[in-house]
Amino acid sequence: MADKFLIAVVFFTFSIVGFSQKTIKGQIKHADTQESVIGASIAVKGTDQGTITDFDGFFELQVRENDILVINYIGYQTLEITVGTEVDYQVLLRPESILLDQIVVVGYGIQRKVDVTGSTASVKGEDLLKQPVMTPTQALQGRVSGVQIISSGRPGSSPNVRVRGIGTALAGTTALFVVDGVLTDDISNINTADIVSVDILKDASSTAIYGARGANGVIIITTKKGQSGQTQINYNNFVGFRSAARIVEMANAAEYANYASAATGQTVSAGDVDTDWYREILRNAFVNNHNLSLSGGSDKFSHFLGFGYLDEDGIVLNNHFSRFNLRTNLDYTLSEKVNFGINGSFTSSNDKDVNLGAAYNNAYRAAPIIPGIIDGRYGNTSQYQNVGNAILDLSNNDNKTLRNRLQASAFADIKFWKGFKFKSMIGVDNTHVNDRRYNYRFLNDEVTFLTSGGNQRAERSSLNVFSDYNFRWVWDNIMTYQTSVDKNNFTFLAGTTAEAFQATFFSARREDVPADDNLWYINTGNANTSANSGGGDAWARNSYLGRVNYSYDDKYLFTGTVRRDGSSRISEKNRWGYFPSMGVGWVISNEEILKNVRFLESLKLRASWGRVGNDRIPSDAFTATVTPNLAYPFGGGVAIPGSAITQVKDPDLKWETTEELDLGVDYSLFKGKLYGEMGFYTKSTRDLLINIKLPATSGDEDGVILTNAASIRNTGFEAAVNWRDNILSEISYKLGANITINRNEVTGLNGGEPILDGGVGAAQIFTTRTDNGQPVGAFFVYQVLGVFQNGEEIAAYTSTDGRIIQPNASPGDFKYQDVNNDGVIDDNDRVFAGSYQPKAYFGFNAEVSYKAFDLSFDIYGNVGNVVYNGKKALRLSGLDNVEKSLAYDRWTPGSGIQDEPAANSGFLPASTYYVEPGDFIRLNNVTLSYNIPPDLVQKVRIDNARVFLTAQNVWTWQRFTGFSPELLDSSPTRAGIEINAYPTTRTVACGINLNF
Amino acid sequence: MQNVLSYIILIVISGCFLSSCSDSFLDVPVQGAATAESDPALAEKLVTGVYNTLVSGDAFGSGDTHGIAFISTTNIMSDDADKGSTPNDQIGIIGHLDNFTHGPTNIFVGSVWNGHYNAIARCNQALKALETASLDDVTKNRFIGEVRFIRAYFYFNLVRFFGGVPAVLRVPESAADANSDPAFRTRASSDDIYNIVIEDLTYTVNNTPLKNATQTGRVNKGMAQSLLAKVYMYRKDWQKVFDLTNEVITSGQYALLDDYANIWRYEGNNSSESVFEIQTGTFNNTDFGVRGYCVWQGPRVGGKGGWTDLGFGFCTPSREFVNSYETGDKRREATVIEIDDSGTYRGTILFDGYRIPSKDSIENFFYNYKAYHSELQTIEPFLGNRDNKQKNIHILRYADVLLMQAEAANELGNQGMALMHVNRLRNRAGLPDINVAGGQALREAIWKERRYELAMEHDRFFDIVRQGRAAEVMQAAGKNFIAGTHELLPIPALQIELSGGQLQQNPGY
Repeated sequence: MADKFLIAVVFFTFSIVGFSQKTIKGQIKHADTQESVIGASIAVKGTDQGTITDFDGFFELQVRENDILVINYIGYQTLEITVGTEVDYQVLLRPESILLDQIVVVGYGIQRKVDVTGSTASVKGEDLLKQPVMTPTQALQGRVSGVQIISSGRPGSSPNVRVRGIGTALAGTTALFVVDGVLTDDISNINTADIVSVDILKDASSTAIYGARGANGVIIITTKKGQSGQTQINYNNFVGFRSAARIVEMANAAEYANYASAATGQTVSAGDVDTDWYREILRNAFVNNHNLSLSGGSDKFSHFLGFGYLDEDGIVLNNHFSRFNLRTNLDYTLSEKVNFGINGSFTSSNDKDVNLGAAYNNAYRAAPIIPGIIDGRYGNTSQYQNVGNAILDLSNNDNKTLRNRLQASAFADIKFWKGFKFKSMIGVDNTHVNDRRYNYRFLNDEVTFLTSGGNQRAERSSLNVFSDYNFRWVWDNIMTYQTSVDKNNFTFLAGTTAEAFQATFFSARREDVPADDNLWYINTGNANTSANSGGGDAWARNSYLGRVNYSYDDKYLFTGTVRRDGSSRISEKNRWGYFPSMGVGWVISNEEILKNVRFLESLKLRASWGRVGNDRIPSDAFTATVTPNLAYPFGGGVAIPGSAITQVKDPDLKWETTEELDLGVDYSLFKGKLYGEMGFYTKSTRDLLINIKLPATSGDEDGVILTNAASIRNTGFEAAVNWRDNILSEISYKLGANITINRNEVTGLNGGEPILDGGVGAAQIFTTRTDNGQPVGAFFVYQVLGVFQNGEEIAAYTSTDGRIIQPNASPGDFKYQDVNNDGVIDDNDRVFAGSYQPKAYFGFNAEVSYKAFDLSFDIYGNVGNVVYNGKKALRLSGLDNVEKSLAYDRWTPGSGIQDEPAANSGFLPASTYYVEPGDFIRLNNVTLSYNIPPDLVQKVRIDNARVFLTAQNVWTWQRFTGFSPELLDSSPTRAGIEINAYPTTRTVACGINLNF
Repeated sequence: MQNVLSYIILIVISGCFLSSCSDSFLDVPVQGAATAESDPALAEKLVTGVYNTLVSGDAFGSGDTHGIAFISTTNIMSDDADKGSTPNDQIGIIGHLDNFTHGPTNIFVGSVWNGHYNAIARCNQALKALETASLDDVTKNRFIGEVRFIRAYFYFNLVRFFGGVPAVLRVPESAADANSDPAFRTRASSDDIYNIVIEDLTYTVNNTPLKNATQTGRVNKGMAQSLLAKVYMYRKDWQKVFDLTNEVITSGQYALLDDYANIWRYEGNNSSESVFEIQTGTFNNTDFGVRGYCVWQGPRVGGKGGWTDLGFGFCTPSREFVNSYETGDKRREATVIEIDDSGTYRGTILFDGYRIPSKDSIENFFYNYKAYHSELQTIEPFLGNRDNKQKNIHILRYADVLLMQAEAANELGNQGMALMHVNRLRNRAGLPDINVAGGQALREAIWKERRYELAMEHDRFFDIVRQGRAAEVMQAAGKNFIAGTHELLPIPALQIELSGGQLQQNPGY
């Protein structure tokens, strides 16, 4: 059936040369265009011999008769040719058909893409590597429909990954990652250069095999393995600069003086100083990344060794991050039936973070008339206006977080009986974090500051250290059985997994530690100031899983899975849960009646249903515990410790359950030139874990309880379409576009209280409300109707019973809507003002190759959401600075301005004033690369060399007036609020990729 | 075939391992945290945990009983003190309270409510644990008495702050319980709250020993009698006020200090004049006290600066108040740090020799001396933690007991006794005797004496509301006080929302 796509290999026999070693030559061309293929690898199977094609697609190689040549070229079908008597080989390569030939990784196994009944997507490692970003997930942005990635410019941070909308409020929205079989929530340790493929499982029938952990989608990462054949050495790097992609312009000294004078009623003079605080704390940052790998192997043994080093300055002063990775992936074939292997990685990172929250807020508020730093002494902003000097915020402390992580799995694969295969895998994941924070001593005197005074000071130096050690193991035992009866193909899978985790951590603190960094150890501090703490965590999981794949005649497909999960983090009553799923597929294009439809290469309809869970619950969530060390000193002196039960817990806590229905179609038309997929899904989550606010009378001291209360529904449509072709046989190109439309709605609080969250500063206790019929984390604020232009308008603004609604207002103040018409503006007058969740997000990517040049670009964007300009709400005083635009656009008597109040002292209530459109489109990445002609580099023993120039986050169109509408937040009930987001960065880098 | 067999054995063994261990495998106890069941000495620790609520001051977080939110809603709201600090600092929270423009979303109103209910919940937890604790009856009853005293104190504050509030007297079984039982969600009448307070305090009076027979700082009989007397004073049950204060006065446990100022010195901690005093000390190698109490009220740098200031400069005695002291009243300089504005730059020398520069380097003119704790370690203990200075807070003093009896005596027609107590306090303050007619004139004299004797001790605002003249007094002080509204704080908006609208808002808010 695949015959019609088989590679055409044409042999031209010239002569017969001896029986042993001989030289063959040949040329490799694209089957469609007859263009030569540059850089295809030709390896002699089972040896380390091999070569690659030159600029015109030619190769030469020493071989023996009956050797097998393995011809590999990315994006093309791999071809094996047995060497015969010929010496000249003309080889035609055909592109891989995405739908028919692609092998995708699914939970606990692999499948042909064509056999998959669920919704999955796959991205190749080399596509990720093009972008100068640190985490593979960030490089996925805009590439896969149904997957929303929100990244931050902070070095060392992990992006938010949301698969098919937000299906949870508190249990964590991050997808489950599976790295070579080891399940984890964090892949910041994985070097993108080591990745061969990333497979994304989106629907419940694909993820149900991960049961209670599958609700947020699953992202499977497969790292590179050695290939038997010639040893290959690869070196690639990139070196570049990052800078803030956008800076909010603040008022300059004159504009500030004008505004502050109006706001305070006092005369504020501009003077000679004009400090641009954001530019004072931001900089162009250098980043460089190097990867070196060695891979190869023989019949029995193959290996991949990788080394990576990343060194990155943050664009915020004093911020720095570095990381190195080592990877060893080994495979050993004991016999035809038994295979062993180990995949291991060690990552060590060093993160020098900074107190961005304080610096960023202070940079927004600090007056431009105060100098930043002159000759090592700081401008005294706190003396002037009770706002810290942002530069000092970044330099009065020195933080270092060392993080070592060892992640490894060892497996044995045994084919012990006809069609039976048993795989046992033990994985370990061990992290050790060592965190050191030193705060310098400095006083508000003229040693530190240009003028003395103010309250920014630290009378004593202090050192805080924190250490966290954790260890997790997982043991999978999986049996599969594959059999065929006539046209019926069956694959059965059954297995168990067990997993356990333990962590211990401690912290210690002392003061009066000398300022010499060689002395930043606890023992050098004043012992009378010792303080320490510590704790631990432990949990275990145990699961049983099964799957049946059935196909009939490659036309009718069925997949059924079930997983039974048990978790120690759930009370005994609800400890075990079942997570079943099934999916069906119909490959219509294989029906006889459609076989003659020429343009149709493949067409598959699929439908699936499944139930999955989310068990990211703290280990102590269902057990009421005693808080110790609540002390009291009777008669003075040393206090004696007391205790209290400060939390109300829900003893019946259980996992969230999501049921998902998925309908889709996968297609490939015009000989695979046009391909893609389209789908519809509806995900209903119930027993949603949420922290419900409790009345203070309950005695719960943080005022919230974690319980299963609400339900959420995500309904969506996603589509991806790709086109690839050639023009004039010299230019090949690939275009891809995808879009996801998602609607998120809280469908029931089920007696729970709405979640009020997203407090901003002291004036706005909450800004969001997660409530029935609304998206999770919808903004809930006063409706601004305009600005009072004069006293008459204030007097005329009354409720129907004649009460003046805002009697204390002055002209120039906001007029808020009295929604309930009771004559006062209070929390009952809040309205829903939209959600940070986009109605749609989309990506577009294109690649053009012309001879040795490749140009690619990516566009990403979203529409239909709003974000909250929280930093604006942090203005707390008339002396605080304002944004430049507000300094000009503010209301003044007679101006008639309705959307901006008069100069004010901040402290305004949460209102639609702060809610801004979040729509944006971004040119995410542009990369130009050039393959240096092989005959040039082969002289220096380099098989293949590519240089590239890349720019990340090149250009953005956004409606938001803040830094970036893409706002990272771990909690979906308070996301989309800009308070102290790390500024989005733009990167320009160049690099080289060498194969030896 | 043998190979196959060994594989099967392997699988069977691993399968057995997993299934046999699976039940206990998932029983993983919570690490690093005791549960109520696993701690046999829990009850006694919970009692200490109840006392711990007295030092809570997380005004921007989980709650506040004696921190800046409490200071703001007592002293700063009264005519004794102003917001202080720079004109704009905390204007949206404390500024509103000071000017009576606060609303139900004022964060400090919320944190006072939360702080008190968190504390009451700890009391209820302790009472529940004490029921089943294996302690001898005397000890157990004493502990119950101590806890009920603290619960009563907090309810007494709540009823004075808010009027009738939810009467929570038990631990909720679950969140659903707290969200459904009307007791947690609706306001009891203020009479009901007063009855709870009286019942709790009566229990304490009957089950705790005298001051000298128990550990310093623990709840005792005299403490309970004094607070109960104060409660009755607010109920205008003058006979009970008189009888209870009489028992305290005749108990032989209390006496006035000679030097008024010494009450707020470290050496004056737990003196003979102390009735109810929040204890401070050290814990975990650092200062242990009411969070933020001193630093919020410490003198603040301003003007040309040039010195390391002592705090944020809030709760500054008002000029009108400072100027209203009678000439020669020693209590003025014990209560107020007056900043030197003479132009001589001599500064202000505090009792410990610390010199505060003159006004050109200082933000405000006056600061609260009763919140000053020396930073000189040779004078008063200080480990460097300004947020938790070891500053005991005097909630009830013997002088208050005398004034309560004076007021009761006047109401009961015993003018001589009333004058005697007032004049004792006046004489200590360096002032001559007064002699006014019983009834209204003496009543007003006693009220005036209360103001100067107890200034900045969180009593004044409650007192003028009790006296029924809050609007008159506050309006005279130029405040935007609306009679019938501002005697009480608004019920926090969030709590109304969380009650599903069942908590009724106070009038005018």
